[in-house]
Amino acid sequence: MKKKMIMQAVLMMCAVFLLQGCAKKDSGDTVNLRWITYQASDVPLDAKEVVAAANAVSKEKTGVTVDLEFQPKEKMNLIMASGEYYDMIFTSSWINDYDRNAAAGLYYDITDLVKEETPLLYSSVDPYWDCASVNGRIYAVPVLKDMGAEDMFRLNADYFEKEKGMVIPERMDFKDIEPFLKAYKEDYPDKYPLDMTKSGPAGYMNFLERIVDPIIVLPFGEGDEASDVVPFYECEDLIERYRLFHKWYEAGYIHPDAATIESTINDKSIPVRFGVAWKGYQGYSNPEDWGFEVKTSIYDGPFLSRSSEQGAMFAVCAACSKERAKACLKYLELLSTDREFRDILAYGIEGKHFEYLENGTVIRTRTGTDRYNTKLFQTGSDVIASVESVSRAIPTDPDQWKKVYEEYRTDGIYSETGSFAYDPKGYENVISALQAIYSNYASELLTGTSDPDEVIPEIRKKMEDAGMDELLFDVRRQLKEWRSREKEAGRK
Amino acid sequence: MKKDHFRKKNRDLALMSLPALIWYVCFCYIPLFGIFFAFKHFTPVPGEGLIKNLFVNSPWAGLDNFSFLIRSSDMPGIIFNTLFYNSLSILLGIAVPVFIAVLLTEIHSESFKGAVQMVMVLPYFLSWVIVGYLVYAFLATDEGMANHILLFAGSSPIQWYQSPQYWRFILVITEVWKSTGYAMIIYLCSITSIDRSLYESAVLDGAGFWERVRYITLPMLQPTICTIFILRIGSILNSDFGLFYQVPMDSGSLQGVTQTLDVYVYKALMQQANFGFSGAASFLQSIVGFIMLVTANTIIRRIDKDSSLM
Repeated sequence: MKKKMIMQAVLMMCAVFLLQGCAKKDSGDTVNLRWITYQASDVPLDAKEVVAAANAVSKEKTGVTVDLEFQPKEKMNLIMASGEYYDMIFTSSWINDYDRNAAAGLYYDITDLVKEETPLLYSSVDPYWDCASVNGRIYAVPVLKDMGAEDMFRLNADYFEKEKGMVIPERMDFKDIEPFLKAYKEDYPDKYPLDMTKSGPAGYMNFLERIVDPIIVLPFGEGDEASDVVPFYECEDLIERYRLFHKWYEAGYIHPDAATIESTINDKSIPVRFGVAWKGYQGYSNPEDWGFEVKTSIYDGPFLSRSSEQGAMFAVCAACSKERAKACLKYLELLSTDREFRDILAYGIEGKHFEYLENGTVIRTRTGTDRYNTKLFQTGSDVIASVESVSRAIPTDPDQWKKVYEEYRTDGIYSETGSFAYDPKGYENVISALQAIYSNYASELLTGTSDPDEVIPEIRKKMEDAGMDELLFDVRRQLKEWRSREKEAGRK
Repeated sequence: MKKDHFRKKNRDLALMSLPALIWYVCFCYIPLFGIFFAFKHFTPVPGEGLIKNLFVNSPWAGLDNFSFLIRSSDMPGIIFNTLFYNSLSILLGIAVPVFIAVLLTEIHSESFKGAVQMVMVLPYFLSWVIVGYLVYAFLATDEGMANHILLFAGSSPIQWYQSPQYWRFILVITEVWKSTGYAMIIYLCSITSIDRSLYESAVLDGAGFWERVRYITLPMLQPTICTIFILRIGSILNSDFGLFYQVPMDSGSLQGVTQTLDVYVYKALMQQANFGFSGAASFLQSIVGFIMLVTANTIIRRIDKDSSLM
């Protein structure tokens, strides 16, 4: 009797596993893709419902449906390392490192496929394919979003403009923020006007091309101005910033414990914050979030570097069959050409999660912000999706992306090495050791806690001991090879 | 008849330990193949299983994976910190709880004893992140309690998170505060199980409190102390990441006194998921721990067979 029951239990379990195996199979003509995207923490509550709604549309239009999974960074690393099967995955310069994985052959080479099978997708991303090139081949589709980084200050306009009668210009130099800090400090001697946490100002390295993040950098510049790659501690512009931070720290503009503070999001009184976005971005300005009017003032950029352009990409697994790779690209093509379809994955279900405003922009409903509040780049391009307005009173310009991309074309500061990917093979141990040293000093340099003129020589000594020179030599060698290849190809 | 009885008893006992056995096989023995990560250049091929990727697709690396550990010139300091804090915490982790347990057994009020126990065990259940912020509440430059007291006493405030000279004390005190209560319970239990008549006859012979502790309690506690000592020394290269990373808030100025091997490995590999390197680091910790454990056990067995583990 007992034996029978055990047998039954075992059989049941087998059946369950078998059924699970079957569930992934495609039914009929539709291809179902396992698509993994990045999510920092909790999966959006209504994700299933939204994906089902999107699948109904995409099934009809392309015959492709998706199982969209939201995974955190660690899980994605594990999926990549364990060889787990997936069809499409999120990859970038900051999560699930694109350059390393592409060089290791983990992604499908889509160079020819994307041109032949999905010309519309190809032309929609053009001319940003360079950032996806590794040794001349393309392994991922870049997501069109803010490709360049514009660094800005976010200021309390109620205080600075109305109360103090100061003028917040649309652009300013980095050091021009000082009078604002000073004015606030004089009024509130016990407070600290400049927002600062242990991770430092947002995007503080955007004005450099990071060849080996964050220890070997290449300052922007063209032609004769282009300098060679240097360790970050030899970059004069960066050190100048460190000096400013230290000066402000000493003057009491920065919290004395900034180097240990994780987050300042709850302190709404801070009048000057950092931000990285694009011209016309409204996300920082919702007065309901802050209790005062926020004005932004750009101080740097737009910089278009390899790492900024690699902000979000989707790659196909190298183990995919050609058919499935094609299906992935077809799906991405639909996602970058059909605005209505794109809006589903971007904002959810119309009427429930978002509504269209009269000027064509989108506003999220309460349900939308609570139950499907993803960032656009997680599910596809920002540019094709409808633009989001933060409040009904101040709708955003629906054509903002056209203007942003126009600005990239006219004022963009482009990296000279946009299609160069450093292959760290053989030097991973040096890079690890250097990164450990860097992380010991980074917070205190960025928050101004330590004096760069004292600390930088110390860092230089330690990094040289740990093998900086060997690494630098290898980076320069690879860069030189890449340059001569580029010359041969007649691109420069 | 008797044989049958024993067989049944053995079977029942074996059945009872089955869940634990399965747990150990699944989570401790099967994953042992992961040791190979430390000696391979792990190069996964997509679409193939982990086992095949590890054993077939990845070339041997020899000792290459260990080299990131010796690349840093901070390494002697890191090893010193790890050994320093561990030796101290083994020592204090035995002496302080034993001392308090002995004192507690002398208290006759059960309710007071219970209250003391509860208050002492409580910190053990707080996570290091919370403890980190409790410490921060004391040591913050502006709002911290310590600096308020200093100001009140007329001296100038200290930037605690930038002053490494104090942190060896702060870390040791925090560690003792957090772990003592829990460790004490084990000794308290052992003391309770000591035959009361021993104490009664000692009292009749005129032994005072300290004599009873010295000649009865401590010798009876010796096996427990030895067991705990042996187990602790097995993790001599490991360190409590929360204590050394969360409590000092990862402050750069303090790294000279707070950086232990685990913290270094975390910082070196935070940016890249390199399974080979992390495998190498934990293999080193395990192998050194294993050698220390066996050595300690052998020495203890030579001195007193009953106190050793194997």
